[in-house]
Amino acid sequence: MLRLSSAIAAAAAIVSAVLLYAVSYDTRHWISIVQSQERQIERLRSDIAVLKAELAYLARPERIEPAARSLGFVPAAGDQYVDLHSVEPVGSTQRSDVESAAPSQRSSQ
Amino acid sequence: MSLAASQNPRASPAARAFVVALSVVIGFSAISIQLVRLALQGQFAEPRVAMTQPLTTAVWRPDIIDRNGRLLATDIEAPTLYADPAMIIDVDEVVERLTEVFPEFNAAELRRSLSDRNRRYVRLKRGISPAAAQRIHNYGLPGIAFRNEPKRVYPNGTLAGHVLGHVNIDNQGTSGLERYIDETIGVEAVHAGTPGTLKPLQISLDIAVQHALEHELRSAVQTYSAKGAAGVILDANTGEVLAAASLPQVDPADRMQGLDPQRLDKLVDGVYELGSIFKTLTIAMALEAGTAHLDKVYDVRVPLRVGKYTIRDLYPPGRPLTVRDIFVLSSNVGAGMLALELGSERQRAYLERFGLTKPIRTEAGPVAAPKLPRYWGKAETITISYGHGMALAPIQFAATAAALVNGGHWVPPTFVQQSSPAWERGERIVSRETSLAIRELMRRNVVSPRGTGRRADVPGYEVGGKTGTAELPSRGGYREEAVIASFVAAFPMSDPKYVVLVMLHEPKPTEETKGKITAGVNAAPVAGQIIARTAPLLGVLPRHHEEAQLHQ
Repeated sequence: MLRLSSAIAAAAAIVSAVLLYAVSYDTRHWISIVQSQERQIERLRSDIAVLKAELAYLARPERIEPAARSLGFVPAAGDQYVDLHSVEPVGSTQRSDVESAAPSQRSSQ
Repeated sequence: MSLAASQNPRASPAARAFVVALSVVIGFSAISIQLVRLALQGQFAEPRVAMTQPLTTAVWRPDIIDRNGRLLATDIEAPTLYADPAMIIDVDEVVERLTEVFPEFNAAELRRSLSDRNRRYVRLKRGISPAAAQRIHNYGLPGIAFRNEPKRVYPNGTLAGHVLGHVNIDNQGTSGLERYIDETIGVEAVHAGTPGTLKPLQISLDIAVQHALEHELRSAVQTYSAKGAAGVILDANTGEVLAAASLPQVDPADRMQGLDPQRLDKLVDGVYELGSIFKTLTIAMALEAGTAHLDKVYDVRVPLRVGKYTIRDLYPPGRPLTVRDIFVLSSNVGAGMLALELGSERQRAYLERFGLTKPIRTEAGPVAAPKLPRYWGKAETITISYGHGMALAPIQFAATAAALVNGGHWVPPTFVQQSSPAWERGERIVSRETSLAIRELMRRNVVSPRGTGRRADVPGYEVGGKTGTAELPSRGGYREEAVIASFVAAFPMSDPKYVVLVMLHEPKPTEETKGKITAGVNAAPVAGQIIARTAPLLGVLPRHHEEAQLHQ
């Protein structure tokens, strides 16, 4: 009886040792993958931060305003805005042309 | 052995062996059950690696973005050069190489600190360029290494420098909104060196409007050879600050500039006698108290005498004036008479109701406290009525002006974007009728041919406002030729959306102004230019049809 239980105990010991090393190996493997991915994430985040800062730097008003002015742009003036109701609809003076066109060519309204 | 066996009949060798075997079996079973559990768990759970020890004292900060999402401040990683003297082999070579790349290093001091083999960490230089880091790396010096630390950058240069504030060498906020971030939102200690994933702080400023304001103020300082200027644009209904500038400006990246008294933030850190723009408040008080109405006439031909002082008008009108005219022509005598009718008690009570007797604060920090007279007699009542004898921070006045034109509700000035008008939060400081009357007066000041604010008009935007030319105090009196010229405006007057306050410090006469330095010829036209340029950016469209009724 004792010989059998010893044999079982020995077998259990060997099996658990194998399992232990397998789990330990797996864990180490996953840790290294995770760490390398985290480092990659850090690098990319850092790159993104630098790119965002560079984009904002290029778009800064201090740089855009002189560039725009040299191209002939100026700040919008009040008289460049018109009320939509004061504008004549497009084609209102060409009604005869539209009516003479074939029915299929008239826009459906 | 046999002795023990005879003493304890139960402890026979077989039984002992069995007990030992059983405990070993239990022990191994426990371990193997745990192993099986772990093996199964590993199939489903995600692997996690935790680091809890912060690496340095530096912190990652959230970005600051404007109301449209444009970047104002952000962190990037910058290499920090450090040395581990215990690992250095040849100190002389290290010192030589480092001073080659960084000539500003003191060779003797460097040699001294690197020779102390007890120190394991000597920080040499923070925020070096990647190019310099590469050069040093290429030398392959043992004991010299790099670490990435966060560095705060402001891509827009000096834009909104005063509002943004500064950070210290550990990237912690020390003033302005940077400090607000540390105190309110929180920052992240540097762990594995990952730039923060913190949510950005969205502020009420609009970069485009801020730039327009700063640009126009800079032109004004140049045109009028002024010593400085300040300006603010507030949303009259929410209290949001769309733009706030003070010249000379401050570079948020330069901590030392923040300490320069020349670069004081004139909007929040200084108190000034604001001059005639105060008449807006005086008339509002008289209307609220019922001691006057817009058509009431006052004889301003006789100068006011108080003790040894005589109060006169700069341009005496030579006839009695209605309350409307007192405002439009900016009569000091008229304002004094209105205030005397009110009395110093009520004047003080109204100032308190208007939020002008106690200091306020914004997210960018505390605002300088108002300076009130210690003794409030007849002379003080009169001088306060036209803006002398008490000193205020301009932003505090602008907030009250917003409350007077928005229908009568106090809205605290705020730098953080608001999602809804502050009607519920604000207490009423004047009745709606008084607010409408103030709107009418301010519009008249700009529209009337003799109104002091006529140069501020911009067609289509219904600009209304009030000028103020306050002599700067000096020992024993006031300096005649040194003034602070201000203009407080609101537009569009039929339903005011924005309040603009412009201040020019010590403007000089020019050919255009024909030798005058009053606000009507410098601050008013500057305010008009600012409104013309920023109205489209603020979403205010011009109205070209006939002017809407003010009383609705």
